[in-house]
Amino acid sequence: MHNLLYFFIKARPWILFVIYLVASCILLFRNNPYQHSIYLTSANNISSAVYNTAAGITSYFNLRDINEDLQRRNSDLELEVLNLKARIQKYHEMDYAMSTPVDSSLSRYNFIIAHVINNSVHRTHNYITIEKGELDGIRPEMGVVDQNGVVGKVNVTGPHSARIISLLNNNLRLSCKVKGNDQVGSLVWNGDDYREAVLEEIPRHAEFTPGDTIVTSGYSTSFPEGVPVGVIVDELKGYDENFYALRVRLFTDFSTLSTVRVIVDNMSDELKEVERDIENMSKPN
Amino acid sequence: MSKSALQLFLITVILVLAQVIVFKNICLFGIAVPFAFIYSLLRLPVTLSREWLYTIGFALGLTVDIFTDTCGMNAFACTVSAALRRPVLRLYFPRDDELTDPYPCISSLGLVTYAKYALSMSLVYCALIFIIEAFSFFNILRLILEIAGSTILTTMFLIGIDSLTIRHREKRL
Repeated sequence: MHNLLYFFIKARPWILFVIYLVASCILLFRNNPYQHSIYLTSANNISSAVYNTAAGITSYFNLRDINEDLQRRNSDLELEVLNLKARIQKYHEMDYAMSTPVDSSLSRYNFIIAHVINNSVHRTHNYITIEKGELDGIRPEMGVVDQNGVVGKVNVTGPHSARIISLLNNNLRLSCKVKGNDQVGSLVWNGDDYREAVLEEIPRHAEFTPGDTIVTSGYSTSFPEGVPVGVIVDELKGYDENFYALRVRLFTDFSTLSTVRVIVDNMSDELKEVERDIENMSKPN
Repeated sequence: MSKSALQLFLITVILVLAQVIVFKNICLFGIAVPFAFIYSLLRLPVTLSREWLYTIGFALGLTVDIFTDTCGMNAFACTVSAALRRPVLRLYFPRDDELTDPYPCISSLGLVTYAKYALSMSLVYCALIFIIEAFSFFNILRLILEIAGSTILTTMFLIGIDSLTIRHREKRL
């Protein structure tokens, strides 16, 4: 007994060392990114405060690029407004008696604008932190876009900050389709270049050409249908025998991300409830 | 003695902040990342007990992990590096009781010995970090390039930081 006690006192540094190694391994190999506690991510109070301060200074650096993007987007929208005005004019002229049906799906989505306070592009699992959280209405699983395209999905939320699982993270798979022919595949990052991702599981009979636009499929409640993601560069040879895999150049420039929009789906609770009811019904009692 | 400890504590806080705000965004040629905050691990006094050495190492790594969303990766690498610090230092400076200053730095070890010490520790650290990362994406050539590039860059940072702190202290005296 005395010897055992003596052994523990003598081996104390080694025991401590092993405890620390085991603790870090537990943290390291807990695979599911959704299980992380808020205190161990960059969305906790202290780190979000630090990143907020730093972002306050560095957000000025990318203003030129962002401004150009906004100008481009603005000109696109102005063009669209002109087109729509012309079309409205045409409708007016056509028939006053016919009333156009009200599209109720327009009010389904809202946006919350948030600033990025922490971001990375060259790790293998990239995350983004924003300065809005639960108190601003942000919940896990919400989709995040910027003025160019898809950014990621909300992952962990704190009261005033949230962590987004970036598209540049192979834990995130996004259901996408080729615009025009509606062939659905799954977009995932391959860890090499932050400007490109891979669209997998496109059926062999699908038709596409390099330059075609990839948009979200709308099969999840996170993203509405048709949010731009990227363009096809070419086919990835020898990736999968049974399906096409396409190299996709992403619209979003992850290296200069600063302002993002979080998509709030007003119908997501309703949809979830319906899906749950169906599940309950199909279960044998 | 406590003055040096306070100085080291301040350097650690500054380096961790610099690491999570600035240095983690540096990725030279797409491969080389500087891990400047391990300077604190190198600078801890040789008289420190092993329990404290491991505890400080683990806490340092975990702090950086929390900021950079790399759960457990830096904590693991820091703990192992802290354990290997004494053997590595012994390799180049066999009699550590002859050290003029218990805090290993250029002025107490000499530039060449310090450079070898910094290079070895950087190599250990970068190898651990990138091998852990390679569990999810394995590419042997990229792994070697990343380890070599980051080791060289980190060593340069460590020597640079040490020169800066020394000059600062001489000016004050």
